Amino acid sequence: MTHILRRHGGLLGMVAIVLIFWALLPETFMTAQNWLNISQQIAMLLVVAAVMTVVMVMGDFDLSVGAMASLAGVLAAVLFTLGVPVWAALLAALAVGLLGGLINGVLVSLVGILPFVATLATLTIYSGLAFLVSDGRTIFGRDIPEGFGNFARGGIPLWTVDERTTVFPNLTLVAIAVTLLIWIVLEQTTYGRRLYAIGGNRDAARLAGVRVSALRLSAFAFTGVGAALAGLMYASRVASANPTQGDGLMLTAIAAVFLGMTLTENGQPRVLATLAGVVVLGVLDNGLTQLAVNSYVREVLIGLIIVAAVGTSALGRRAITGR
Amino acid sequence: MTTLTLDALTRIYGTSRALDGVSLTLTGGEVHALMGENGAGKSTLIRLIAGLERPDTGKLRLDGQPVTFDSPAAAQAAGLRFIHQELHVVPALSVAENMHLSLPYPRRLGLIRWSALADAAGTALARLGLSQIDPRQPMSRLGPGDQMLTRIAATLIGTEARPWLYVMDEPTAALTGAEAERLFTVIAELKSQGAGILYVSHRMAEVMRLSDRVTVLRDGKLITTTPRAGTDQTRLIHAMTGRDLSAMFPPRTLHNNEGARRAEERPQGPALTLTCLTAPNLHQITLTLAPGEVLGVTGLSGSGRGALLRALMGALPLTSGKITLNGQPVTLTSPAEAWTKGIAYVPRERRTEGLISGGTVVENVTLPHLTALARARRFRNRPRERALLADVAMAVRLKSTGPAQPVGQLSGGNQQKVLFARAIAGAPQVLLLDEPTRGVDVGAKFDIYRLIRQFCDDGLAVIFASSDLPEIIGLSDRIAVLQSGHLAHLVPNRDMTEAALLSLCYDQPPAKASA
Repeated sequence: MTHILRRHGGLLGMVAIVLIFWALLPETFMTAQNWLNISQQIAMLLVVAAVMTVVMVMGDFDLSVGAMASLAGVLAAVLFTLGVPVWAALLAALAVGLLGGLINGVLVSLVGILPFVATLATLTIYSGLAFLVSDGRTIFGRDIPEGFGNFARGGIPLWTVDERTTVFPNLTLVAIAVTLLIWIVLEQTTYGRRLYAIGGNRDAARLAGVRVSALRLSAFAFTGVGAALAGLMYASRVASANPTQGDGLMLTAIAAVFLGMTLTENGQPRVLATLAGVVVLGVLDNGLTQLAVNSYVREVLIGLIIVAAVGTSALGRRAITGR
Repeated sequence: MTTLTLDALTRIYGTSRALDGVSLTLTGGEVHALMGENGAGKSTLIRLIAGLERPDTGKLRLDGQPVTFDSPAAAQAAGLRFIHQELHVVPALSVAENMHLSLPYPRRLGLIRWSALADAAGTALARLGLSQIDPRQPMSRLGPGDQMLTRIAATLIGTEARPWLYVMDEPTAALTGAEAERLFTVIAELKSQGAGILYVSHRMAEVMRLSDRVTVLRDGKLITTTPRAGTDQTRLIHAMTGRDLSAMFPPRTLHNNEGARRAEERPQGPALTLTCLTAPNLHQITLTLAPGEVLGVTGLSGSGRGALLRALMGALPLTSGKITLNGQPVTLTSPAEAWTKGIAYVPRERRTEGLISGGTVVENVTLPHLTALARARRFRNRPRERALLADVAMAVRLKSTGPAQPVGQLSGGNQQKVLFARAIAGAPQVLLLDEPTRGVDVGAKFDIYRLIRQFCDDGLAVIFASSDLPEIIGLSDRIAVLQSGHLAHLVPNRDMTEAALLSLCYDQPPAKASA
């Protein structure tokens, strides 16, 4: 019994959180509409957290994802104002994400700067570029093409009650597709297994024929593209772009990966565990908002819950291994 | 002389008797060797006298008086000191600070007196004849051998009663020949000062050379305690393994009829040719290797044994020179390339360079071969990974609970077999082994020797670097001796003795090397 608690305590805790909200909000919480809302609210976070998992599998970090999301959003918006077609603007924003990710990869794997330091520097650079590109303004209203904003509001129609059609949100679909792709890459390809080997022991992996530098570089590129995609999703959702709107994603994404790591057998980052972490954070945010908890209190509570989850997991692991 | 008597010590874990009624007496001024295979009870015995565990039955007596070591501090107070094979040093701190890690620093008004700190360390080092080590330099400048010697010297610091018994657990596992020699000098010095040594080692040659008495454990029981003079290698191996092993090394089948027949079936020409290979710490190495041949590479610390293998593995960039594999010139710029070209490698440091910690047996074995096993070269093919593992695990006689067992749970010998399985899983043509029997027990050593012999009977060309001279002599067809990165000698292994080989390691480099 205690073993089950130690091993699956994190999962039980997450279920408990859902049950508590269900009890406190019997009318609104456990409804399809609310869960679809949650799924849309967490879609951007899920994309960033999934690609963050890719670098964290190797024991690395990417702190620049939030700034990159902001940069991609304002870049696309600025291109819209210049009359560039939507598809071209989106491609350009994703290309900048790829380039930014490659720069991170080069700094980390070829130059050999610690990921923390390298991506802290590029965070500042990308954030500054976002202000430069947008001139510090929020781009909204008529500058944003209708189709771009409508994408986030649309979805696959599910059912209609009293003229109101419930849809399965497009953003949720994108996030699920990205998560599925990352799951395939990490769990089903040799590429993913090699990333895990790098995370386990970088020197040994290199001597066993893993091309460590090339793989680290490509993984950071992956993360850059994902961050840019999340930035575009964000801009579509709020039908506007400002140079700081993605910044909050980075810390929350890392928190989600860490929450997920408390669920896996040997504390490795796995993308499905990250998904669980993201859902918990989304549920907390949604539930506490509905309970009209002050947003500052909400932040304190979420922080405490992360500490509690990761802390009990660390203590449980120590009890199991006897160290 | 002080004595520590172990009186019928028994320690039971669950249902197994890790130590079963073991009695022996350790005396100051004597080197007492403790031998036995992994799991024989050596570690348990050490833990009991270190105060880390208590015996279930039996007693310890210090000079005849019963004592209880209920904590490591109690064992320390009784004058015991423990030198482990794992050196816990802080590389960035000075030698003197490392020597004071578990001692109070000399201070004045709460501030460290740096000169007194260095003097105390220097005095302790001098007492063991180690004045050449400057206590003020950072620990990272010392090799593992000197780091260990500083740990021994650190036990001499302080005014409390001088320790009288040193327990050394596999002290030479990480040391090169020259470093081990310095350790042996220090052991002799300690002994002449009246200290006793409990010397735990797998290495027969060291035990035969250093010890006054030898105790052999097997399955938790004491098999024999004899004066060294009254025993020999064959008898000790018999005592440890419980079986007769007439020879440490399997015969070289290359020289009998079966071997000759199989050799004829192989493609002619060398498997590997090195021409004027130059890299950091390697100068103008030229040699050839035939299929089915075992080339032993030896030399003192820093002679370039490991560097040669790393250069062949593409892990060390070449400055010049040519490598030819089966007649084809190859450039090796990364280990990944070497693996795909049929060169396999078992690195020296099992834990830091070999195993993916946290990984399972199958993950570790298949890592270099993932692409070859994959569907469409991209997607994992678990059934094929497991089938390959089943094949090679059988070939290397790996003992594990299954493919999903984490490698961290395996014994040292089995971890080494995981790395061997990884190496042969890709059907390589050249096998590079760096200290392949380091820190594995006698039984696993035999397995590994037999494997190496079997691989080369199958036509594999093997280069193995080792500082263990009996192993080099026992296994090699030819022996390459390196000195400061130069190939000083390349000799056929005929009637070679350890003494002769050691003198080849030590002699002056040939004239061409100084150019």
